[in-house]
Amino acid sequence: MPQFQEKSLFETWPALRYVIYAIIALILSVLHVVFLNLISVSSITPDLLLVLCVWISITEGQFIGIFAGFGCGLLFDVLSADVLGTNALAKTLAAFVAGYFFKAKFTDQTIGSYKFIVAVFVCSMVHNLTYFFFYVRPTEISFSGFFLKYGIASTLYTSVSAVFPMLIKAQKLTVRH
Amino acid sequence: MYRIIEFIVRFKEYVSLSAVVVICFSLMTFGNVAQLGGFRSVVVGGIGWLQNAFSWIPNPVALKSENAALRELNYQLSDERAKIRQSLIENEKLRKLLEFKKQTTFPVVSADVVGKTTTEVRNYATLNKGAEDGIEEGMTVMTDAGIAGLIIAASKNYSLVRLLINRDSRVAAKIQRSRIDGILVWEDDQTMIMKNIPKSYDVKIGDDVITSAYSNRFPQNIMIGRVTDVRADSSSLFRKIIVTPAVNFSSLEQVFVVKMLPDKERVALEKEIEERWKSRNSQQR
Repeated sequence: MPQFQEKSLFETWPALRYVIYAIIALILSVLHVVFLNLISVSSITPDLLLVLCVWISITEGQFIGIFAGFGCGLLFDVLSADVLGTNALAKTLAAFVAGYFFKAKFTDQTIGSYKFIVAVFVCSMVHNLTYFFFYVRPTEISFSGFFLKYGIASTLYTSVSAVFPMLIKAQKLTVRH
Repeated sequence: MYRIIEFIVRFKEYVSLSAVVVICFSLMTFGNVAQLGGFRSVVVGGIGWLQNAFSWIPNPVALKSENAALRELNYQLSDERAKIRQSLIENEKLRKLLEFKKQTTFPVVSADVVGKTTTEVRNYATLNKGAEDGIEEGMTVMTDAGIAGLIIAASKNYSLVRLLINRDSRVAAKIQRSRIDGILVWEDDQTMIMKNIPKSYDVKIGDDVITSAYSNRFPQNIMIGRVTDVRADSSSLFRKIIVTPAVNFSSLEQVFVVKMLPDKERVALEKEIEERWKSRNSQQR
């Protein structure tokens, strides 16, 4: 008698993961535009979409991460009425860098540890360097001054916000073990 | 061809990154927002609706900064309001002074009060004009309201005024309505007193008091003040006339110095006679 093996929904439809990512990205984009000013400190807000991009890159690998970064960035460009392509480029590069933290079979351990915060910090720095470079380009604002003022603060705030998904993942890992 | 495909598969991350970066740059360069047309307007409308729907949620950080900004604005406005009020008062005073300067027949020099001294109930004021402006000792100081005092010293750029409310002040005065003469001396605080006025003389509360022609210090017919009280002295035939100066000394800021000195010949003659009387009296004693 053949043994019946119960399969999870994700195993049945592997593409469902990407649909879930897309829905989360859409929700985070709307949250970012509508509600994030509620927790802004001196007009600095955490970039939750970037945290998602890093998460996807660490979970799925660099190749998928690149497209996730591009998609998330483009979505945010459209929703935030920003110059089309700026967030897309910044998040693509950030997701590419995040791909270097990808370790197959150890993704949960990476996300549930301080490595995730380090990854978010590095990727956020790359993201903000790219984004603010194009942001201040048409103006006469000094890039270095602007980046030191807003880029570093935004990087730190985003890194702090990445602590929550890391803790959730760490708790899940503890329960599983 | 196989090699190309193998290369792409092998370096798919870098190839896809390059492709995506090129797309991003193309979007930045050629991506016209207007091309998104209706879609963009739907997005903006939707986001706007959401923001409006959740606008009731208080933002503590924004409220705090708004509160701080409003406090600062409130302080600035209060400060501005005080300055405007000060300017209005000053403007009104200067207008009166200007009108007075036009009306008066005396040659006058306008000056600002830069200091006031109230020591041992001797009231003095320092003016920012001195000998260089033609001010000399003995000149009369007045405002649009009336007599303020007498110059008692003058340096190159400053001069000192002995105010009317000073224990050394003595002014030959006259009740304007009934032409009764008397000597006005400082009593206390902001009041002066006219002594030795017979009870039978016609003096009423509210009568104006002006400088008399008998004065060898002040020009005649200049307002000094107003009778505010008439006190009968039961032990004598005289009564005390209380006069409140027309000038408000507590808010004295701008004054005029009358560039006229008393007639030196008259002053010298009166002084000589006075000294003669004094010496005769001392000899008789």
